[in-house]
Amino acid sequence: MNRPLEILRTLADHEVEFIVVGGVAAVALGAPVNTMDIDIVHTRAPENVTRLLAALHALDAHYRHRPELRPTESHLSSRGHQLLATRLGYLDVLGAIGKGHTYAGLLPHTVEIEFAPAFRCRVLDLETQIAIKEETGGEKDLAMLPILRRTLAERRRIK
Amino acid sequence: MTEYDASGVDVTLIRCFLSLTPAQRLERLQEFMDFTEEIWRLNGIEPSFGDPADAG
Repeated sequence: MNRPLEILRTLADHEVEFIVVGGVAAVALGAPVNTMDIDIVHTRAPENVTRLLAALHALDAHYRHRPELRPTESHLSSRGHQLLATRLGYLDVLGAIGKGHTYAGLLPHTVEIEFAPAFRCRVLDLETQIAIKEETGGEKDLAMLPILRRTLAERRRIK
Repeated sequence: MTEYDASGVDVTLIRCFLSLTPAQRLERLQEFMDFTEEIWRLNGIEPSFGDPADAG
């Protein structure tokens, strides 16, 4: 079962401070791309890690490649990538993205999106998504760039 | 009618997606995810998520 909106709502309900990045961020801002997981970058402050751990527990999260293993505060306090499966779909919890971009550095480059009344999430803006993909230069990133650039141009055109 | 830009991007698809609300866009994505998993199941394929360094 894949319920990306419900995953985001669970994180929001637990007052987790996070930024949606990756394909879901692109989709939320209007880019017609596909992905199979949600990517988030979280602040690794201890109180936020505690809230995130509670949200992940509510989502029955475990590691995709090691289903017997559950994320811990130690895992979530690192800059690493936690690739998780939940009862509502796949969720990547990332300490940093690209060449070391963390929550604090990304925060000024986010927009707040209201998915429903009283349900808002911070999403990485298209300009920064493009910049990070250009910086990273992976094949998958480069393939997505024309769609992201054109989506940004269309958003500016209709403003 | 389809309109492609110089990079081969279907602009009509972008305009269609931009006409939706953010929640509606994620609902479309959810439909894609469910469809993809159904195809995987029908073919007996386990999901593969590649190199963790590729995440994000």
